[in-house]
Amino acid sequence: MTTARPGKPTLLVIDDEVQIRRLLRFTLEDAGYLVREADTGHHGLVEAAHHHPDAVLLDLGLPDLHGTEVLKRLREWSSAPVLVLSVLGEEENKIAALDAGADDYLTKPFGGGELLARLRALLRRIKVDEPAAIARFGPFEVHLVDRKVLKNGAFVKLTAKEYALFHLFVTHRDKVLTHSQILGELWGPESLSQTHYLRIFMMRLRRKLEDEPDTPRYLQTESTVGYRLVTDPR
Amino acid sequence: MFSFTPSLTLPTPPPVSRSLISHRLAVSREYLEVATVIAAITLVAWFTPLDYRVFGDIYLAAVIALSLRVGRWPILFATVFSVLAWNFAIVPPRLSFSQLDLKDGVFLGTYFFTALLAGQLTSRLRAQERRERQREQRATALFHLSRALNAAETLDEGVATALRLADTLFECRSSLLLSGETPALAVHAASSLSLTRDDLAAAEQVYRSTVPRGRPAASKPSLASLHVPLHHRGHTLGVLTLGGWRRPVSLAAEDRELLETFAAQISLHVERERLRAVSEHEKLLAESDRLQRTLLDSVSHELKTPLAVLRTAAENLTTDDPSRRQSLAAEVRTATARLTRVVGNLLNQSRLEAGGLIAKLDWCDVRDVIVAARRDVGDALAPHPITIAIAEDTPLCQADFALLEQVVANLLVNAALHTPPGTPVSISAGVDRIAERFFLTVADRGPGLPAELRDEAFHKFRRGAGARPGGLGLGLSIVHGFMRAQGGSVQVSSQPGGGACFTLHLPYLTHDHVPHE
Repeated sequence: MTTARPGKPTLLVIDDEVQIRRLLRFTLEDAGYLVREADTGHHGLVEAAHHHPDAVLLDLGLPDLHGTEVLKRLREWSSAPVLVLSVLGEEENKIAALDAGADDYLTKPFGGGELLARLRALLRRIKVDEPAAIARFGPFEVHLVDRKVLKNGAFVKLTAKEYALFHLFVTHRDKVLTHSQILGELWGPESLSQTHYLRIFMMRLRRKLEDEPDTPRYLQTESTVGYRLVTDPR
Repeated sequence: MFSFTPSLTLPTPPPVSRSLISHRLAVSREYLEVATVIAAITLVAWFTPLDYRVFGDIYLAAVIALSLRVGRWPILFATVFSVLAWNFAIVPPRLSFSQLDLKDGVFLGTYFFTALLAGQLTSRLRAQERRERQREQRATALFHLSRALNAAETLDEGVATALRLADTLFECRSSLLLSGETPALAVHAASSLSLTRDDLAAAEQVYRSTVPRGRPAASKPSLASLHVPLHHRGHTLGVLTLGGWRRPVSLAAEDRELLETFAAQISLHVERERLRAVSEHEKLLAESDRLQRTLLDSVSHELKTPLAVLRTAAENLTTDDPSRRQSLAAEVRTATARLTRVVGNLLNQSRLEAGGLIAKLDWCDVRDVIVAARRDVGDALAPHPITIAIAEDTPLCQADFALLEQVVANLLVNAALHTPPGTPVSISAGVDRIAERFFLTVADRGPGLPAELRDEAFHKFRRGAGARPGGLGLGLSIVHGFMRAQGGSVQVSSQPGGGACFTLHLPYLTHDHVPHE
């Protein structure tokens, strides 16, 4: 059972609803993943310790442990990417989970296509964790060493703060960054509530980088949560 | 300066000039006053070389004048005292009681008679005047009471006014005990008299026996509390208690009558307000019953339709025809989208109705909100070309991102549901510098909203007569509720050239400066 075939990433699904687990297994196995299941938080932590999954799908509404608690305990020894599953109206838990180290979230009900896209991005990121000198996506080329941004080969002039913000997105590309994560990183922990700094800088950044700043393709808004740099927008 | 407590504005009791408890000069003061006046005249007469009979007239004038101020007995005293003083000090030989001759004797007799008569007449006049004034005060008090009770919009307001009026009028503190749904008496919160155990027991007894108790009318002045039952059509609603007198009082028969009229007025008010509460409650019940039925009808329809689609699609998925399977999958997707929307609306409406919805206001970029809302609506809006016009200088607005996103999404769904495919939808936003508020409009080129529906469009379960299936009639009610929760508003109007235009307004606020670096 525990012998994972080489090349096939293992996923751990922690959810108490048997139908959800069954359908997730269906979708994920079809997409070529190996799936392990756990129906409680404790069980999930044991599974994760024994089998070291490549990624974890964690439901926030577990019967025994709060999802955020599972996440904290998992993060004590594992850096496996965690995709949080929540239902509508759990915004605060979702944000807390992201701040506690979750890598992404999906709100139920979600589509299979969306789930697979998120997982692909999560797993790809472990591979590109080593920072390359140049990040390339879409029309952009970001020279991380000499702090230059090119769009369609043309140099884009960014202020130091704008570059710092964009740099943060590039190093965490395709990952959700919460408001407080960005604010804490750029303006320090005392500015966590200064959402307007972030909103204004996002506006400026989009005007310089997006073709249509009012309907951005790359620098996307995650409602109430934060922002995400999407490298391959559909 | 006066200061007002904004949360608690008790109706000010109407002005009552003075209390009904009469304020006569204390009796000892009256005798003192009388004695002083007579002594003063005697002193003046001692040093004035005039005929002693002249002073007889002056004494008479003084006694008549005094009778306007003092009672009957002090006047008798004044008469006797003045006669003695006159005889002893003025009539020669001075400092001894002289034998009066017949002429002086007649004068004295006339004097005596005139003084007493004057005293009697004026005191009678004054008593009459006092009664008139008290009658007038009673009438005024009753007038104020009935006017205040009529103006009172709630039971508590009326009771508070009546009790404060009683406090002023009877110079006491008052308390109202009312029987509620339970037969036990409960003290009304507006009471100013805190009842002792004895008071409570006495009031309870009055309530049970329906005979006024406390003390009999026109009894000796005392400090004991007075209990008056509130009767209405044969049953007792409660007890009005007066107490905390500053000094012993006895109530005249008229005052008791007034008190009972007071009680009767309060009973009427209590009964009227109770009836109103009952009828309002029944109206509410009927309304909520109606809403419940509407909800049940439309919810069961809105939930059952997609469920039926899902079930049929699932049963047919075993078909071998791959193109058929494709279209079944598309049906399933549409049905789940509809189901998701219905459940979301129901959840949002219940959040609104639970009253626990608190907007988390923060700075939002309206462009972000629109993008997020469009993403939420998804395929439903696909057949509609969308144009977005947001002024370049549109600043951030204070809103709850999630609520505003839901509001815009609901308006977009509304436009998609109620206009034929291909109808353009336009969104615009900016700041109305004149009205100093933020606006966001969602407008379509569809059939528009009939004028008679415009006012009711934001009520729940209100759907247009020709509305197509696929809505609960909750969408706009949620828009309205969420905007209010954020301190904003929503309006609907007709577009020039046709179509409906929904305008959202939010307060225009500016954030502090954002540093460039």
